[in-house]
Amino acid sequence: MFGSKQKNNSTAEATSRLEDFDYLNPKSIYLDSACQSLRPKSVCAALQEYYTKYNACGGRVKYDWGQKVDEAIDEARGAVLRLLHLSSKDYVTSFTLNTTYGINLLLQQLPQGFYKRVITSDIEHNSVFLPTMTLATRLGVERIVLSRTPTGELTYSSDQLEKAIVVVNSTSNIDGRKLSSIKELVRDAHERGGIVIIDAAQTMAHNHEMLIGCAADAICFSAHKMYAPSLGVIVCRKSLLRSLDYQIVGGGMVSNVTENNFKLASEDPASQLEPGLQAFGEIIAFSQALKWLDEIRPFGEDRSKYINSLGNELFEGLKSLPDVNVINAGPTSVVSLYSSKMDAHRLAIFLSSGGIMARSGYFCCHYYLREKLNLPPLLRFSIGLNNTHQDITTTINTVEKLMRSA
Amino acid sequence: MFCIAAFIVLVIISIFSARYRRLAKKAWGCVARRLTFRPCDTKFKDELKSRLLAHVALKKPQFVKAASIGIEVGSFVIVALTVWSLYVVFKSGLNLYVYGTCNPANAASCSLGAEACSIETAKPSFVTSIKELKLHSWLANEFSGLGETIAAVPTRMQDWRAEDYLPANATYEQTYSNTKPTALDIFDPGCQYCRQLYRNQLQANFASKYNVSYIAYPIANPKTGDGYKFRNSMIITRYLEAMKIKPLIKAKTPADWQILNRIFTKADSDGTSYQQKINIVLNGDETQTLLQKWMHEMGYADDDTSAIRTLAFSDRVSNVIENNRKIVEHKVKTVKIPTLIFNGQRHGGVVDIQDLK
Ligand SMILES: Cc1ncc(COP(=O)(O)O)c(C=O)c1O
Repeated sequence: MFGSKQKNNSTAEATSRLEDFDYLNPKSIYLDSACQSLRPKSVCAALQEYYTKYNACGGRVKYDWGQKVDEAIDEARGAVLRLLHLSSKDYVTSFTLNTTYGINLLLQQLPQGFYKRVITSDIEHNSVFLPTMTLATRLGVERIVLSRTPTGELTYSSDQLEKAIVVVNSTSNIDGRKLSSIKELVRDAHERGGIVIIDAAQTMAHNHEMLIGCAADAICFSAHKMYAPSLGVIVCRKSLLRSLDYQIVGGGMVSNVTENNFKLASEDPASQLEPGLQAFGEIIAFSQALKWLDEIRPFGEDRSKYINSLGNELFEGLKSLPDVNVINAGPTSVVSLYSSKMDAHRLAIFLSSGGIMARSGYFCCHYYLREKLNLPPLLRFSIGLNNTHQDITTTINTVEKLMRSA
Repeated sequence: MFCIAAFIVLVIISIFSARYRRLAKKAWGCVARRLTFRPCDTKFKDELKSRLLAHVALKKPQFVKAASIGIEVGSFVIVALTVWSLYVVFKSGLNLYVYGTCNPANAASCSLGAEACSIETAKPSFVTSIKELKLHSWLANEFSGLGETIAAVPTRMQDWRAEDYLPANATYEQTYSNTKPTALDIFDPGCQYCRQLYRNQLQANFASKYNVSYIAYPIANPKTGDGYKFRNSMIITRYLEAMKIKPLIKAKTPADWQILNRIFTKADSDGTSYQQKINIVLNGDETQTLLQKWMHEMGYADDDTSAIRTLAFSDRVSNVIENNRKIVEHKVKTVKIPTLIFNGQRHGGVVDIQDLK
């Protein structure tokens, strides 16, 4: 079931897909993992198992099924902290709908009167870019949009971090550029009384290591971008949770309720971002995805290396094509491009009829791509562990062929 | 143009498949924009066009440009054909209402109206117009035809009284009675549907309810120069009018009606109906010989017969026939022969026995 059992010879590698994704039509080339990754069979099985074997509510029932759910959910919370080398003394894992929801739950409940400004960057996804606007308006503070270098670094002066709420991504969904100096940023912010909330949506599947030891105050990401079912994850410092001014409240997060008041369950801080019933099956299957990611060795290779080699091939191949402008400064698992000869949407539709699934448009980064860089809609390929070298070759050849129709 | 064509096509296929209704709705958004002179929603247009071109792009990328032009041309054709068919449906419907035939220029070709003989018009066809580079005159004809139909709408709604259209020297199948209303049958002696209507009237005993009179109207055929649609109809009409001027004294049924009865109901010894015989077998002289033979049998003296023969080709009779033609074409304005005016209405074509009772 797991990657360690994969075939390990190079001819098999050229033509066959990881067994975990063998349900895929051999002619389908899925290159939209940045939006949501495909799910390995073991993850689907875990979800199915929950629904068919112990479909119970978590955190509130005494029967066996419920006990089993509670154990599995606790295991999932712990697995996330272990993955990021975080202590459960300082951090908790909460689940929500997606990255966007996670960021909003935090930002919209930050208290009045303490913070001086909101800082974000120009290449943020709308899930960061927009909530920082409403946050600044609600708190009545300034909002600063900083630039990122072509390699992904944030350019700031430490004064700007004074009591600042910094919300930035650790990996861009346009071209995969990374915030390599994340540790320094967090340290500088903390020194000035600021906090840092990281949008790690594009980091967790293939580059979670860069977040280890960064000491961010919160890290939000989407399980559906890391081979798990649709689910949002928030890893948050307990101190930040305690400071929140809770507005979004409901069942499953209180220890007592009177006629006009309620007391949050302080012994279970994770629940405070989880009003109402949770997606238990998805959380359990997410746990399985983490296990799978930990164990998978595609065709005997290290999984990051495998992804990097595919990214390299894709980047180099596309860059060499005439009339194609690749946005990326360098190879990553996400490559975006445009052509002055053919509209990206048309190219995406053409590719689709050849079985190649790629995204076209602005990928929720309208400000950066359209307003700031004045670019036309882009075409984006994003790689996942479901992809093969053959997928990449076919894709490059197909793009080359289609460009001849322009 | 592409959006409108897409809308038309999608609406048609979404009748059969719900899957396309969503797309058809989107296409309608585009069409609505076009109709209000805003630019088409390019997103939808481009997406649909790209989907259509995708297969070509994958197989033969170099042909995408040509295929794209093809789509635009095809769209134009689809829209043009649709607009034209809507126009034809509207025009035909209006004609059916006004004249009882969807094609007034050729009533026999319209299966929706009652069966009738057409009054052919000399309007050039679309193909001939193109050949002669006279598209403008074809268009002018087309729209003046529609104009005429629209102008004739009130005639459809008016209260028709046979008395208002009676010819000079009207004769009645049975003796005129004050107590019966009048009916007027306009027919061509050669037209098979006129024969049918006459026989229906006999079966329904129509003449016992109405004072039935008639106008014999030989349908002209402009395609044969001065000819007529049925070659001997004019000769017969001349004789009928002459007999009205010189009636058969003391006859119970007027002589002209007797002749009509023979043409419409009797057959020759070989079994061929006289109408067919006159239309197909006999020439003008032979027709006259037959008529004279009948007049003799009916009781006309030989002198009277030769007087009638002379009268038939006199200016007097020609004038009567000309006046009758004017009544038919300018007053009744029918395009279908037979036309029967009775009971406040003008009926074009054969009328069922039931409706005559
Ligand atoms: C960098 C980044 N941030 C945030 C998001 C939002 O993720 P979700 O749609 O799961 O909330 C995405 C999704 O593509 C993303 O790429």
